[in-house]
Amino acid sequence: MKKKPEWLKVSYNKEAVEEVSGLMAKLKLNTVCKEANCPNLGECYKKRTATFMILGSTCTRSCRFCNVTSGMVEPVDPKEPQHLAEAVKELDLKHVVITSVTRDDLVDGGAGHFADTIRAVQVLNPGVSIEVLIPDLQGVERHLDIVIAANPDVINHNVETVRELYSEVRPEADYDRSMAVLEYVKKQAPHIKTKTGMMVGLGETDEQVYQVMDDSLKVGCDIFTIGQYLQPSPQHIEVKAYVTPEKFAEYKKIGEAKGFHYIASSPLVRSSYRAEEAMEGGKS
Amino acid sequence: MKKNIQMPKLSEQMESGVLASWNKEVGDVVGKGEVLFEIETEKVVSEVESMESGVLEAVFFEAGDEIKADEIIAVINCD
Repeated sequence: MKKKPEWLKVSYNKEAVEEVSGLMAKLKLNTVCKEANCPNLGECYKKRTATFMILGSTCTRSCRFCNVTSGMVEPVDPKEPQHLAEAVKELDLKHVVITSVTRDDLVDGGAGHFADTIRAVQVLNPGVSIEVLIPDLQGVERHLDIVIAANPDVINHNVETVRELYSEVRPEADYDRSMAVLEYVKKQAPHIKTKTGMMVGLGETDEQVYQVMDDSLKVGCDIFTIGQYLQPSPQHIEVKAYVTPEKFAEYKKIGEAKGFHYIASSPLVRSSYRAEEAMEGGKS
Repeated sequence: MKKNIQMPKLSEQMESGVLASWNKEVGDVVGKGEVLFEIETEKVVSEVESMESGVLEAVFFEAGDEIKADEIIAVINCD
């Protein structure tokens, strides 16, 4: 195991984790916090917040950085939208982040289920802001339209890494397709905040990071997140570098100067970490 | 009453973790919510908060040891 730098330290409180985990199990819900073995799980669960993961816990793609299981997918649970809306109420969330596994096997890529979930939350929790972190839906515009029509407050689609590392890190995805997703959402619904995020520490250069920022701004992206890639297991792609907090601060400064409405950049930033703050900051 | 302190299972996949450090010594008073020890896993170092208040009576492992999840690593006397 690679020695961790001192800034990669998190807190863990068993009771807080078990409370939120228990609620998720009761309502048969998944969180990306648990499935991705997120380092911030302890902090977020202690604050009684979580990022829901719909459409099962098995993904049809196998990206080399991701801890989510890949393989035979589960059938879609028609009760999931309602259960998720109930969990939002029980946790008294003011802002909810909903993501999913990628479901290339479904005719609409899961867009309809996303829309059903957004609407169920809106009905049971009026006033709660909704952020969806969607897969690329293979770039199919009519599928993106389904999600857009449900009118969430934020549509996030993570570009994950620099163009040059796609074949190694995210071989089943396409950099230009991800950018096109963000562009299409902004074009169709300018009032919806768009958001993207990337990991660093995979061997990218500063220039390549700034290029991702420029490309994201070019497609009208409002909110940008950058965090350290952490290797979930020895089977996953290796960490090439632990990027220092000072470097993250520099990325933030440069990103703000380039024109993002909000940029979160620090080692433990994940795309949904303190998402409410990002959404508020992303308001133009 | 004495309470056994177990190696927490920080994720479903976690089989073991490395004890990075003890933040208390045997004989120290420990408050609920205080950091008792640190564990290093694949991704990060976790500061594990104590769920008990009392006196740390015994520890069974040292920093650097790899410990299986759920194994008893210490005893806190809560009297």
